[in-house]
Amino acid sequence: MPRSPLLVAAVAGLLIALGGCGLGSGEGTKGASLNVTLDFGSKTLLDTNEPKTDGEDTVMRLLQRNAKVETRYGGGFVQSINGKTGGTDGDPPEDWMYYVNGIQAPKGAAATQVHDGDSIWFDRHSWQATQNVPAVVGSFPEPFLHGRDGRRLPVLVECAELQSAGCDKVVKQLADLGVVSARNQIRSSFVKESLRVLVGPWVAVRDETIVRRMEQGPSASGVYAKPAADGKSITVLKPDGKPARTLGAGSGLVAATAVPDGFPIWVITGTDDAGVVAAAGALDETTLHNHFALALSGGQGVDVPDLSP
Amino acid sequence: MIYRRLATPLHAVRPAVGCLYALALCLAAILSDNPVVLAGVGVAVAVAACGAQVRGGVAKAAKWSLILAIPLALINPLLVRDGLTVVARLGEWGPLGQVDVTLEGIVYGAVLGLRIVVLVAASSLFALTVDPDGLLRLLRRVSFRSALTAVLATRLVPVLAADGRRLADAQKCRADGGGSRVALVRAVATGALDRAVDVAATLEVRGYATAARVGGRRSPREPWSRHDLAFLASAVVVVALALLGRYAGLAGATFYPETTIDAGVPPVAVAVAVVVAAGLPFLDRRGIA
Repeated sequence: MPRSPLLVAAVAGLLIALGGCGLGSGEGTKGASLNVTLDFGSKTLLDTNEPKTDGEDTVMRLLQRNAKVETRYGGGFVQSINGKTGGTDGDPPEDWMYYVNGIQAPKGAAATQVHDGDSIWFDRHSWQATQNVPAVVGSFPEPFLHGRDGRRLPVLVECAELQSAGCDKVVKQLADLGVVSARNQIRSSFVKESLRVLVGPWVAVRDETIVRRMEQGPSASGVYAKPAADGKSITVLKPDGKPARTLGAGSGLVAATAVPDGFPIWVITGTDDAGVVAAAGALDETTLHNHFALALSGGQGVDVPDLSP
Repeated sequence: MIYRRLATPLHAVRPAVGCLYALALCLAAILSDNPVVLAGVGVAVAVAACGAQVRGGVAKAAKWSLILAIPLALINPLLVRDGLTVVARLGEWGPLGQVDVTLEGIVYGAVLGLRIVVLVAASSLFALTVDPDGLLRLLRRVSFRSALTAVLATRLVPVLAADGRRLADAQKCRADGGGSRVALVRAVATGALDRAVDVAATLEVRGYATAARVGGRRSPREPWSRHDLAFLASAVVVVALALLGRYAGLAGATFYPETTIDAGVPPVAVAVAVVVAAGLPFLDRRGIA
């Protein structure tokens, strides 16, 4: 059967258009931010809300436009940023990891597109205790504003007690940012593609099996803090996974975790109601900025992991 | 590609110098990232090929090198993720992920392709102008067996080419107008094994396996000719120019994440100097019969 070249060209053109193809760099992204830090966000190398961009940048190109970057494996792996090199030569071994809207990216930086409003965070840290930190809180108010892969996600605030000070505070903090959230009991959500925020004392929050893995340490949850199963204490860990200090009554914790390739679950918890309220109060951009997670004790923030010598 | 002694200055030099001269051109091609200088090295190889009267052989080799150079130049932009100037977005390509073709990837691919062509041309210049027997004499003190293997391999190529031509002629005589190229390649490859066995048997009969180590009695030292000195100086200058262009900031080039190629007078001057340095020894034809 003879084929018209025009028809073939039209079909090819349609496929290209549908496949996200095109000439040039494409339409630009707006409102992205770029943050480059060392040692779990403790030292900032670069922090800009107006990075240089051009067209449909990948995370790698965005980084390369704004910092001096050395790559490996055909440009797919970040080896060094502004002269700070990752690798297994050091003790402990460190590497560059990156998060988009506080979510560890499942793909390489060269294969991840930047979307409007994305918050990109590169951090070089030790992976002695775990290579997998699936979610962090330091990009707040992301991922609540711009979600994942350029798609905003529904937000569910799941509270141990629906009418509690902690729950009210979290919902209000989110509402102040323009985030509309649904409030419900813990483990009452059946929406898979959503951002869940669990609020309540640890003994109640640990009903959620994904969150309960925090009791096993960073290798299981990616969180460098271990709440005790009885909820009476929270042990803050060092980057190597060893205990640094134990926080008692009135302590709170803001952390995020996830199953691999799953959606992040935020945890606003504490040893008791006072701890939960303290954690809920920390839910703002300035307090959480550049933190992988944040513990609260006596009204003061405690770095998680603990980076004190 | 067969070595034939011709009446040219390059054929008149001792094998060591001829070898160094070709090696210098190869080294210059490897060292030069700047396309202007790289093109200059290519022109220098062409000038040397003309001066050595092996233009046809070198051109043929350069043409064959396109089989490798063109795919490399095309594949590089698709695989390399570096580069900031996106010229085309090709969407998701399965395991390759998002494929964006960048200007930097294209330019570097083109430079890689050009480098391969120049390297193959310079290597063919070596094969066509350096006497394999002289090379064997030169290297046998270092490693007799390696030198013998290299020389035999060099000599076997034209023999196999002749075999291929004869077989192709025979194919054309068939009633159906000739068989496939695959059959021809298969026949030549099989013949190569037979010929290798023959060569091995001949070497054994001539006692090569039990031969005493050569080098006890050295042949009388041959005086250095003006051509030897001229080509040696040329090789040194070509390498020095390539080093100067690369490391002295005269003709640098970086490709990723953004392509920056030094332009203007310095790279052109380096390229012209390479061509002149490589071509000058051919002007002296005194003593060439």
